[in-house]
Amino acid sequence: MQISRIGWKTVQFSLAIIFIFLSWWVLALLLDTPAFPPPLPAFASFFHSLQGDLLLHLRISLYRVLASLILAATLAIPAGLFLGKNPRLDQYIAPVIYLTYPIPKVVFLPVLLILLGIGDLSKVVLIALIVFYQILVTTRDASRNLQTEYILSIKSLGANSKELYQHVYLPGCLPAILTSLRLGLGTAMAVLFLTETYATSTGIGYFIMYSWSSLAYDKMFAGIIAMGLMGFFLYILIDGCERYFCSWLNP
Amino acid sequence: MTYLDIQSLQVDFLQQNKSHNVLNDVNLQLPQGKIGVIIGPSGCGKSTLLNVLANLNQEYRGRVSINGQLPLEHIGTALILQDYGLLPWKNVWNNIQLGLEIRKIAKEETKTRIEAILKKMGIADLKKRYPAQLSGGQKQRVAIARSLVLEPELLLMDEPFSSLDALNREEMQDILMQIWQETNLTILLITHSIEEAVFLGQKIFVMSACPGTIIKTFDNQIAGDYSSRGKVEFLDMCNTLRSYLRKES
Repeated sequence: MQISRIGWKTVQFSLAIIFIFLSWWVLALLLDTPAFPPPLPAFASFFHSLQGDLLLHLRISLYRVLASLILAATLAIPAGLFLGKNPRLDQYIAPVIYLTYPIPKVVFLPVLLILLGIGDLSKVVLIALIVFYQILVTTRDASRNLQTEYILSIKSLGANSKELYQHVYLPGCLPAILTSLRLGLGTAMAVLFLTETYATSTGIGYFIMYSWSSLAYDKMFAGIIAMGLMGFFLYILIDGCERYFCSWLNP
Repeated sequence: MTYLDIQSLQVDFLQQNKSHNVLNDVNLQLPQGKIGVIIGPSGCGKSTLLNVLANLNQEYRGRVSINGQLPLEHIGTALILQDYGLLPWKNVWNNIQLGLEIRKIAKEETKTRIEAILKKMGIADLKKRYPAQLSGGQKQRVAIARSLVLEPELLLMDEPFSSLDALNREEMQDILMQIWQETNLTILLITHSIEEAVFLGQKIFVMSACPGTIIKTFDNQIAGDYSSRGKVEFLDMCNTLRSYLRKES
């Protein structure tokens, strides 16, 4: 009997989940420390904490990471498409990107805290700054490498610059943009954790570190699970966008 | 006045701060409603010539006139590229619709025109498919449909059938002939195939190696005659062309 594509995917995912939980369980048994509880007590604590203040922290962290990704994408996508389309301008901008890209932007956290305050803004700006580069470079390269025939064929139909972006550059670069968003999401989650461990009393990062310092390891793991699930659902969201907007890739 | 009139056309490309002469003193005349075929060695600037006519290259010297207008002013020109130029992210319907959308044609008329051209090209069943789901011949039909839906006066084709197998190629040549008979389009086509040039070209322009120029123009009486394929006069014409091309390469 032929298993349907969706059915096969479900089997694959179920196997992966079983594998992760088994490895976690074995590791917890081997380590035998309250700092690394097995899956069942950890999830029990997660659901218990959701009744308390975990949901509030989750909401704040979700807001920060979404705001950062949206800010970074809003600035980086048009800039990347523009630079890819205008190589003459890019030859002046590319060295600036090349020189500033490798600087670990996270070192600017103290500066941003002074300039933008200890509220959400400094955290959002720092995450956005880091993710911005990833999206910018990927989008620019995708835009630069678009096949000339697509551009010529649309130009020969009489398209102006706006129509070129609308019909060629944006849809043609969308798969690369979504890949950069997916990679950026991982970075954003890591930086989010870091920014939430300083000068704040909200967010999952704070929740995890506070639980750690008060030796509440079950709560700490509830926070870790919350952060993991948040990353997972955002990843699925981007995946869904790709399936919807880039259906031509797998018709 | 000749419909398509090119006089002393010269195109130079700047590469690594050096100027390269691609087209030199090109003179070409094609009356309205005729099919012209350009044939010449690789890299002789044939595509550059079409780009000038399609207003994709405005940096040229000399006189280029399409029905008395500059390429920039002439909106009735359509270009079909060698690799079809179909956008992979748009399905057949949306690819054909693109030119009409850009030219701001009303929605109702757009729908009517696309439905008619899909039927004419025999691709109505494929309207929801993406280019990746089409064969070479089907892509070529869509590319032709996308151009014809704009109801052009002048159709430029850059090696349109080069990636098709022999049977598909002959079928597409027949379809093109049929379209020409129905619409009385002026067509200028580039090809590498001597047989294609002889079957389609009422005027055949032979180009020299780079910098390209027209070295010989043939008036071909047997163009479009289905029965002539394989006959003595067809083969004679092919041999004449072949000897000119050999000299050039």
